[in-house]
Amino acid sequence: MYGIDAINANNGWAISVVGITIVFTGLVVLSFVISQLHKVMDLFENPRKIKRWFIGEKEADKADKIPEPSLFVITEEQKEITKQFALLARTMEDHFSLPRLLHLSQISGVKNPHSSLQILLKSAIIFPDGEGFFCWDQNVYTRTIS
Amino acid sequence: MDTLFLDFFQNTGFYLCDYRNIIMILIGIVFIYLGIAKDYEPLLLVPIGFGMLMGNIPIFIGLGLGIYENNSVLHYLYFGVTQGIYPPLIFLGIGAMTDFSTLLARPILMLLGAAAQAGIFITFLGALALGFAPNEASSIGIIGGADGPTAIFLTAKLAPHLIGPIAVAAYSYMALVPVIQPPIMKLLTTRKERLIRMEEPRQVTKREKMIFPIVAFLLCCFLAPAALPLLGMLCFGNVLKEAVVTERLAVTARNAIIDTATILLGVTVGASTQGDVFLVPSSVGIFVLGAVSFCIATASGLIFAKIMNLFLKSKINPLLGAAGVSAVPDSARVVQMVGQREDPTNFLLMHAMAPNVSGVIGSAIAAGVLWSLMA
Repeated sequence: MYGIDAINANNGWAISVVGITIVFTGLVVLSFVISQLHKVMDLFENPRKIKRWFIGEKEADKADKIPEPSLFVITEEQKEITKQFALLARTMEDHFSLPRLLHLSQISGVKNPHSSLQILLKSAIIFPDGEGFFCWDQNVYTRTIS
Repeated sequence: MDTLFLDFFQNTGFYLCDYRNIIMILIGIVFIYLGIAKDYEPLLLVPIGFGMLMGNIPIFIGLGLGIYENNSVLHYLYFGVTQGIYPPLIFLGIGAMTDFSTLLARPILMLLGAAAQAGIFITFLGALALGFAPNEASSIGIIGGADGPTAIFLTAKLAPHLIGPIAVAAYSYMALVPVIQPPIMKLLTTRKERLIRMEEPRQVTKREKMIFPIVAFLLCCFLAPAALPLLGMLCFGNVLKEAVVTERLAVTARNAIIDTATILLGVTVGASTQGDVFLVPSSVGIFVLGAVSFCIATASGLIFAKIMNLFLKSKINPLLGAAGVSAVPDSARVVQMVGQREDPTNFLLMHAMAPNVSGVIGSAIAAGVLWSLMA
């Protein structure tokens, strides 16, 4: 059997239509999903946006107002040690290694270097740069010791 | 002693030679020439061409040497083709080397990959009309997907007796993409359309690229489960690439595994084209229909791109439609070449990769659909 008869006999028209429809549906759905993918990712990274949907813009703005962090209070003795650390930090790169700063403080004879370093971290005078090194925040330092 | 010499002579290739073997050996030499001298898909044409030489050495039947003889070495290697083992391994490698960024940046270009699959189903109808059985017609139609591994995979499942001609046709047309596509592209587009510049794609995050293969796999395989072996391996390969922590596995998949599978697939497919099996009237029909399928696929992508432009604010260059056939990255390169002939400063390659890789997904889905409808 040949020609149109052969196509009709083997249900060719229906198979072709179903086939191309499935391929199109699959790729259309996939393209829609991936076109929305970055928006979904954005929501995951900024959950506040979801909150805004449910509680409204104004309420969300109120909730988003983060109170100023209270200043870390340290004793006079700790202030002196912090000043010594400040001098050491000046001799180092902007992004420095914490073990290196600790080592310098030990050989410089700084009192209680471990716990003092811990205070500097808690007070955010020293903060991580996210790549394994640390930085000295001069503003926080000035406010803390003043 | 004379009898011994005569017996030996009667077992040599010179005595057993058939004109069909000579024709196939010549075709094999042409393939090797095209691969090496013209640089047309050398990684495929050279193994297939040499396989043709191996498969057409006249041999004494019964010695267990031929690819169609049980227990021969070639027969065992051919097992990977007949059982559809090599194509998914190739897809694993393709997944491990494909960057889906451009597709993620402009998902709408995925529709061009879908449109180009129309060639498969139109050729399926043509093959039915020429008297091929439905399973054979499906295997012939898939040539239009311009995806060698997919064509072999589907043929192995539906019409194993046609693997030789279909594989050779599919790979020949893939190699001839730079010859076949440009005239169709020029015929169906105006100069003004070919000069259209594409917008810069947005930046795609690493996390998007990581999530895409998982989402694509789940979505497509839930829709067409028969596409599982091909799409599963494609997406798995891409997960290995994007996960970074599995870089070692990704490197193996995109180098050692894909190279091994390509060599074994190429040589055994070539060897399966024994003159007496290959040079039959149906092979001519397959070659003609394959060419038609390829042309229709290219034209469908181009026309669909023009239709999309009727509705899109930011127009797309309709040449990208030709990259909807899944000859990766050749058809994307052809789009770049044709586009740059009109405007040397217009870079379309990056944009053409989006329909190109979606064509790979589309042809795998089409193969899955045909397999499930015919099985």
